[in-house]
Amino acid sequence: MKRALTIVLLIVLAAVLLNAVAALPPHGSPDTPAYTHVGAYYLEHGPEETGSENVVTSVILNYRGFDTNGEVTVIVTALMAVIAVLTGVRDAGNRPDTDATHVEPSVVVRFIVRVLAPFILVFAVYVILNGHVTPGGGFQGGTMLGALVIALTLVLGERESAKLIPQRPIRIIQVIAPLTFVAVGLAGLIAWGDFLSFPRDEQLRPVAEAMLVLIEAGIGIGGAVVFARVFRLMGGRS
Amino acid sequence: MISWPPLLVLFVLTPLVGAVLTPAVSDATGRRSWEWAIGTMLLTSAMAGALIMRVLDEGPFSYVVGGWVAPYGIELHFDEFSASVAVVCLLGLLAVVFSRHYAPAALAPERIPYYYTLLLLNITGMIGFIVTGDLFNLYVFMEILSLSAYALVAISGEKTAEMAAFKYLVMGAVSSLSILFGVGLLYALTGSLNMADVTMRLAGSAKAPLVVAFAALTLGLMVKSALFPLHIWLPDAHAIAPSPVSAILSGLVVKVGILGMLRMYQIAYGSGAIDLSGLNLMLTWLGAISIVMGAFFAVFQDDIKMMLAYSTISNIGYIVMGLGLASSYSLIGATVHVFNHALIKATLFLGAGALIHQTGQRTLSGLAGVGRSMPFTTAAISIGAISIVGIPPTAGFLCKWYIALGALQAGQPLFAVALVFGALLIFVYYIRMVNAFYFRKPQDAGASAVHEAPATMLVPVLVLATLCLVMGVLGSLPLSFIEPAVARLLAPLGGG
Repeated sequence: MKRALTIVLLIVLAAVLLNAVAALPPHGSPDTPAYTHVGAYYLEHGPEETGSENVVTSVILNYRGFDTNGEVTVIVTALMAVIAVLTGVRDAGNRPDTDATHVEPSVVVRFIVRVLAPFILVFAVYVILNGHVTPGGGFQGGTMLGALVIALTLVLGERESAKLIPQRPIRIIQVIAPLTFVAVGLAGLIAWGDFLSFPRDEQLRPVAEAMLVLIEAGIGIGGAVVFARVFRLMGGRS
Repeated sequence: MISWPPLLVLFVLTPLVGAVLTPAVSDATGRRSWEWAIGTMLLTSAMAGALIMRVLDEGPFSYVVGGWVAPYGIELHFDEFSASVAVVCLLGLLAVVFSRHYAPAALAPERIPYYYTLLLLNITGMIGFIVTGDLFNLYVFMEILSLSAYALVAISGEKTAEMAAFKYLVMGAVSSLSILFGVGLLYALTGSLNMADVTMRLAGSAKAPLVVAFAALTLGLMVKSALFPLHIWLPDAHAIAPSPVSAILSGLVVKVGILGMLRMYQIAYGSGAIDLSGLNLMLTWLGAISIVMGAFFAVFQDDIKMMLAYSTISNIGYIVMGLGLASSYSLIGATVHVFNHALIKATLFLGAGALIHQTGQRTLSGLAGVGRSMPFTTAAISIGAISIVGIPPTAGFLCKWYIALGALQAGQPLFAVALVFGALLIFVYYIRMVNAFYFRKPQDAGASAVHEAPATMLVPVLVLATLCLVMGVLGSLPLSFIEPAVARLLAPLGGG
C-alpha cells in the first residue's frame, strides 16, 4: 500500500516537473534568456574587461568571484565539521582499530604509486597555475594534489604518511583558500577601491594575472589539504 | 565611515576570517579561541550597527562586489528586512559569551576551537544570506550556514546527537537541492541571478516552470523553517544540541527560511508574474496547524529543551501565518516576530542551558524547586515564558496582536481564533514549567544544593530577559521601522 502510494506520488511529481521543463525556453537555442542576457555580456566583454583569456575564469574569479569566495568557505566549513565530529572521541574503544584491519598494499601498488607520484604532482601544479588561461584551475588541480596525498598515505604506512601533511602550520594551511581569497580581495579594495577588483589597465595586466594565480594556488593547496585531512580523519588518524 | 560602500562586504567577511582563524589562534584550554570569537563578534556587531544607522538615514542601499555593474557582478543589498542582522549579531555574541564555561563542560577539549569556528561560520552564513541580493550567492551562504549547523548539533559526540544531526542533514540536504532547483528554473527563465534584475525580467515567463520554481523554493525554505508537516527533524536537533547552539538554531537559523521567503515575495509581488494567493492560503493553513500542533506536543514534554523545541514550531507557525495572510498588519507582525521570537527563544534556551549546566537535570520533574537555588535564571526564564505566551507588556504581545489584526484585515477572523487558541495552549505548558520551578518540592537534596550559574552564563540570560521586557515597552519602534519595507513589498498588490 505504502509502496503503491509512493509510486503514484512520484509519477504525479514527475509529470508536474516534466511539464514545467517542457515549458522552459528551449535548451541550447541561442535565443533563450540564459544566452542573451548576462551570459552574452560575459562572452562579449569578458576577455577585455577582465584580462583573462579563459571566459570561465573571468566568471568564477572576476564577475562572480564573491560566489567562489563563498564556495571555498563551504569546503572549509565541511572540513571544520568533519574535524569537529571526528576528533577527540572520548570512547576510543568504539572506533574500528585501524591497525587490525590494515593490509599491507602489494609491491606492485607501492611501486606504481611511488613512480607516478612526481608526475601527478607536476601535472597538479600545472593545472593549478594555468587555471586562469586553460580549462582547470585551483579546484581541479587541488583535487589531484589531494588524491596524490591519499594514494601516498595508502602505500607509505602510518609514520611516513603523517609527514605528508605538516603538523604545525596545518591550522593555517587548511584554511588557506578563503584566506588568500580575502587577502587578494582586500588588496583590490586598497589599491582600486572595491573588494575583489582587479586592475583593468593594459600595463597592469601582469599584476591582475599574478592576483589570479595567487587565488588559484590558494584554492589548490587549501583544497588538497581538505581532501587529505578528511581522508585521514575518517581513517582515525589526525 | 557609515556610508563607506565596501563596509557591506567587509561585514560579511569579518566573521568569515575570524572563524577560519580561530583554530590557529587557539591554545590548549580553548580560552584564547573564546576571546578571539568574542572579539570577532564585537567587531561584526559594530559594523551591523553602522549599516543599520545608514539604512535609517538613507533607506535601502547596495554594493556590487568587484566594482562590476549590477546584474553582471554580485550585488549585496541592505534594506529594512536586512536589519535582522542586528539580532543575529546580538545572539551570536551572547551565545559565545555563554559558551565560556559551557563548552569545556559539554565538549572534548580538542573540539572547542572548532566549536567556535563553526559558530562563527554559522553567523557568517546567516549574515551573507540576509544581505545578498543575488540568488546563487544566497544558496552559497545557505550552504555555509546549513553545514555548520549540522556539525554543531553533532558536536557533543553523544550517539543521540549524532543521530539527530544526521536526520537534520538528510532533510536539510534535500531542502537545499529543492532551493537550488528553484533558483535554476528562475535563471533559465530570465538569464539572470540578480534578484532585482530577475524581478524585472520575470513578467511574461512561461507559467508552468514559474509555478514549479516558486513551489520548489517554498518547499526548501519551509523545511529549513520547520513548518508543519516539514518539521520532523527539528525537535531532536534543537533539543539535543548544546544549549548555546539550540539558542542560535531556534532563535535564528529557522528564521533564515522566513527571510528567504520575504526575498521570494519581493520577486513574486514585484514582478507580478505569478499569483501567489493559492500558496498563501496553504501557508496560512499550515501556519495555523503548526501553531496548534507545536503547542499541543509541547504540553506533553517533560524534557525542558524538547518543550522549547516544539514551541519553536508553534512560533514559526505564527510567522508563516502572518506571511500567508499577506496583509500589511500581518506582515509587519510576522517580520517583527522574527526578531522578538529570536530574543525570547534565546532567553529560554540559554536559561535552560544554565539550569542543565548547574543541576545536571533536564526534565521538569528533575528541575522541581530549582527556583529557590537559582532565582535569577528562573526569573529570566519566567520573563521569557510570559513573553512567548504574548502577555503584555512583553515582547511577544505586539507582534501576535498585529498578526491577529492582519487576519481581521484580510477578512479571515478564523485564523485570529487559531492564534488565540494557540496562545492559550502555550500558556498551559509554560505554566507547567513555572509551576515546577517555584511551587514543587525538590525531588532530592541535591537539587537544593546547586548554586546560581556563573556570570558568563547569567549575564547573557539576564540581558536577553531585559530585552524581552524592553522590546515589549518599546514595541512600536521595530514596527514603525519595518513598515516602509512592508509597504514597498505590498505596493504592487495595490497597497495590501
